[in-house]
Amino acid sequence: MIRFVLSRLLQSLVALAILSVVVFILARATGDPLQLILPMSATPEDYAEARRYLGLDRPYLEQYLSFIGHAVTGDFGMSLRARRPVSELIRERLPNSLSLAAFAMSVSLAIAFPLGVLAAVKKGTGVDRAAQVIAVLGQSLPTFWVAIVLVEFVAGRLQWLPAAGNEGFSSYILPGFTLGWFVVAGMMRLLRSAMLEVLDSEYVKLARVKGVVEGKVVWVHALKNALIPVITFAGIYFAILVTTAIVVETVFAWPGIGRLAYEGISSRDFPVIQAVVLTTAAIVAVVNLGVDCLYAVIDPRIRYAR
Amino acid sequence: MRRLSRGVAVFLLALVLAAPTMVGQAWAQAKPDLTIALSSFSTETLDPALGGHLVKYYLSMMFDYLVGTTLDGQPSKDGGIATRWENSPDYKRWTFYLRKGVKFHNGDDVTSEDVKFSIMRNIGPRSTTGYAGPLRTLIQTIETPAPDRVVIVTKDPTLIIPTYLSRSLSTEGMVLPKKYIEQVGDDVFARKPVGSGPYKFVEQVTGSHIKLTAVDNHWRIGTPKYKNMIFRLVPEETTRIALLRRGDVDVADVSRERVKELEKESFPVHFRREESILTMWWILGPDGLPAPMKDKRVREAMNLAIDRAEVAQSVFAGKADPAAVPLGLSWSFKDIGFKVTPEMAYPYDPARAKKLLADAGFAAGFPLDVYAYQLPGLPEGKTFAEAVSGYWEKIGIKIKLVPVDYPAFRKNWVDRKTPGSVGYFNIANRDWIGTYALLEKMAYTPAKANDTVNDPEVDGMIAQIMRQTDKEKINTLMRNIYTRIRSEHSGMPIVYLHSAYATGKKLGKWNTGSVMYDLFFDELASGK
Amino acid sequence: MPGDSPGGALVLSEVAASTAPASRSRNIPYVSLGIITVFVLLAVLAPLLGLADPFNQSLRNRFKPPVWEEGGSWTHPLGTDRLGRDMLSRIVWGSRVSLAAGVVTVLVASAFGAAVGLVAGYYGGQVDTALMRMTDATMSFPVILLALILAVTVGPSFTNVVVAIAVILWARYARVIRGQVLTLMHLDFIAQARLAGAGAWRIITRHLFPNTLNTLVVLVTLQIGYVIIVEASLSFLGAGIPPPTPAWGSMIAEGREFVTSAWWVSMFPGLAILLVVLAFNLLGDWLRDTFDPKLRQL
Repeated sequence: MIRFVLSRLLQSLVALAILSVVVFILARATGDPLQLILPMSATPEDYAEARRYLGLDRPYLEQYLSFIGHAVTGDFGMSLRARRPVSELIRERLPNSLSLAAFAMSVSLAIAFPLGVLAAVKKGTGVDRAAQVIAVLGQSLPTFWVAIVLVEFVAGRLQWLPAAGNEGFSSYILPGFTLGWFVVAGMMRLLRSAMLEVLDSEYVKLARVKGVVEGKVVWVHALKNALIPVITFAGIYFAILVTTAIVVETVFAWPGIGRLAYEGISSRDFPVIQAVVLTTAAIVAVVNLGVDCLYAVIDPRIRYAR
Repeated sequence: MRRLSRGVAVFLLALVLAAPTMVGQAWAQAKPDLTIALSSFSTETLDPALGGHLVKYYLSMMFDYLVGTTLDGQPSKDGGIATRWENSPDYKRWTFYLRKGVKFHNGDDVTSEDVKFSIMRNIGPRSTTGYAGPLRTLIQTIETPAPDRVVIVTKDPTLIIPTYLSRSLSTEGMVLPKKYIEQVGDDVFARKPVGSGPYKFVEQVTGSHIKLTAVDNHWRIGTPKYKNMIFRLVPEETTRIALLRRGDVDVADVSRERVKELEKESFPVHFRREESILTMWWILGPDGLPAPMKDKRVREAMNLAIDRAEVAQSVFAGKADPAAVPLGLSWSFKDIGFKVTPEMAYPYDPARAKKLLADAGFAAGFPLDVYAYQLPGLPEGKTFAEAVSGYWEKIGIKIKLVPVDYPAFRKNWVDRKTPGSVGYFNIANRDWIGTYALLEKMAYTPAKANDTVNDPEVDGMIAQIMRQTDKEKINTLMRNIYTRIRSEHSGMPIVYLHSAYATGKKLGKWNTGSVMYDLFFDELASGK
Repeated sequence: MPGDSPGGALVLSEVAASTAPASRSRNIPYVSLGIITVFVLLAVLAPLLGLADPFNQSLRNRFKPPVWEEGGSWTHPLGTDRLGRDMLSRIVWGSRVSLAAGVVTVLVASAFGAAVGLVAGYYGGQVDTALMRMTDATMSFPVILLALILAVTVGPSFTNVVVAIAVILWARYARVIRGQVLTLMHLDFIAQARLAGAGAWRIITRHLFPNTLNTLVVLVTLQIGYVIIVEASLSFLGAGIPPPTPAWGSMIAEGREFVTSAWWVSMFPGLAILLVVLAFNLLGDWLRDTFDPKLRQL
């Protein structure tokens, strides 16, 4: 098992290394950040001086090695736009993304659970169908539109909840719901099919024969087992929530890393672009590793197939 | 028993009803905060040397300028650290007399050493402010004969020093604490700035907000009305408006198209009339304008093809007025004595435009790339580009719309990779010195990648202004420059944009002034 | 004899049928199929429908409401947009663009992804490890960021949207297909085929691939909707299909400021996306239930 974890870790590092090269090239392909930093009156000498000062005149290989060398110590260089250490910017904003994702996750689960269980128990009926449609609805609308409609009506007209800002819990509700609704469908499907499988299993049949109350059968015995695949995928969904929140962050003025990446790309801020992509990739890699470990523990066949 | 419970219920009800008023009274004691939601902070920096124009909104609260500015953009002896200034007869020595008793937020006194340090730093190699370059070439040395006197010595005679170091342009004139910066270094200063302005820095969360808190009593505004000033970055318009509706923010910049719905709900909307000019130009090639725009008739035709009134009415919801002069910064016109005559206004004449094209040999039209992008203060950017392209299509020009973001356009503009293609900007309106500074960037050929005019006659006039100290002669030159730019059709002026700032219903009177990138929040908070 | 396709193709569905409860294979989602058919027809027949020119702008006529509202007229049954262009026409022509974006992206991604998954699952060992790590690396790059970077580097375009999404989407297919193949590899008919002397190519194409077809179809159906939604998000951020091309996503993005004042500008394309994506999602769900409810990871 240890060997499994270690080998996967190594492979993840290799993947991250490849990714670092890719993002290094992509970031530099976006354009020239000096155009935006230096004023209109800057002369070619000013540009040369700025390039030298920021280390952008070194050969690409040297820049890359410097970038990697520092990155492994957690130093992602200085933001060209903000002139502050990038790791500081990430430290400032990553927790916001993580907390929003966690909130969205709980909203998702809170909606997906009852829908999934209901759909499984009332399989084939109108309830099942209705639950399916409700869940899928969240995936069938562009996120920004849901966000804006919520902001306009719930925050602007009804004024029940804040549209942005940090008023604590209430500020999480609208963005969290918008973000979470998108993954409800996937979770609900998972839960439904897992429940269906379990409800049909010998284990449950035995419980029924033994005379266990149906409610307990469903909500305790079946759910317990159906949760396993859902939990393993919850990790992946969490990673998705963190990495795709940029639209929600923009509408709700939420200072997360999605927005940081957008600002970085808009200002051709190479260090920021590189850092955000690698950070999110690392998060996804860690989550994937955790999920795979969990899977390997649950299903030994997979472990040995490596 | 029932009586008692009913009595209790009534008592509780009374308490519940009274509570808001009690709380309200407690609130009335505490000073409110002023929260401002803006769509962009540009670089979001806290260091004046790393400026950019949009950061002025909040930096002018934290820092004092050497030279103050009145609400209508004139240098003022009341608003800056300098209480008066005078020039030597040869206009090469500018002496500033400093206010006494001004302190930085960390308690240090503001002296001439700080002023000298600040200016040198703000135009130094690390600086990226807009006017650092010209100041660097101009300033020879700075002397500090006394703690309350600064003398700036220039290489050439010039009139521009006070204005360039004032609030009316950018951030070069902001006074910074020398001891503090030398102690903690540039990086720490950029994170924990210390100034001498009426509001001091509390915290910044990039991408979210900047919070400032009032200094108890300040020479600029007395005892401030607002305890804290919070600037919030809210890029999405609907969200800004929702925040305003809910009372979470007091001021928000709003797009022209949504002004009507806010006015219907009785939200006060303050307009800065002619806040900017929306002007278009052709990207130059290595040798100036390429064909077909090289031909004056083509340039005139493209101008005549646009129905400016309709653009103002529809794309800008009527909150715009047609413009007649390319790069025509109207806030300077009165000062330089320039009058826009009715003949200068471009009529909407597509028939004549087609004829001019035919005369120039382009009866069948020609292909043209038009860049489409949004800008701060111009959310209608892409729609506008599409609209204008529509007019050109109608006179036979085959338009290809090139959607980009501004940095990508700027690169093409400056690198001159796509000569002849069209770009635009909403250039902030400004006083005559600022206007000169702008013309020197965008209408001046020598070594300037940002030139859009490429006209030796204009170049000659601009060069003369540089060395001129007779204001009358300068005015004449500037009038002639504009007359020439207009007669040569060296660009396509479209409209003057009025910008809208909506406020909460209880905000009260607010004069937003006519200084670029400044909304005079300190006036709003003034206890004087 | 089980082993040769089409026999091989039957294996999985037999297995599925025996273990899965008789699902809703009788409840064919006619509504979803109907919606999809209608929009596909609209997309294909757009030039023949005699609609207004979707590019013709007329500032005078901007924000005209739909015909049933006050101020509306039959010239523009669904109203006009910000530049006075006819909404009905733009929605119909937009269906070509949005559907094409969805279909092309998904076909490209699935072709490449399935190939990778098949190869990885078949060969196993080092090949599998290498390909899977590549897949993981790819999946960890956020689609939206890649699309933004591309848009900023070479300018937004239809091709960019397709490339940006497909370049990352294939990894999903690779993972799922590989998982399927791993299960299949344990089955007898593969061993038998090997014994019979079948080479890698033959086994992959004639035995493995047909058995993954069901999964592919399900995944493809479910993902078309996803791509259309992502394109909308990209338009919101400025990296989608650029103006003046009518595309549902960019139409909603353009109209988002006028949700209350000129609701039709964003509501109608929004409705179109909702119907089409919902239809694809429900159809995909039904397909999955029919073929193999065990495909829970989709």
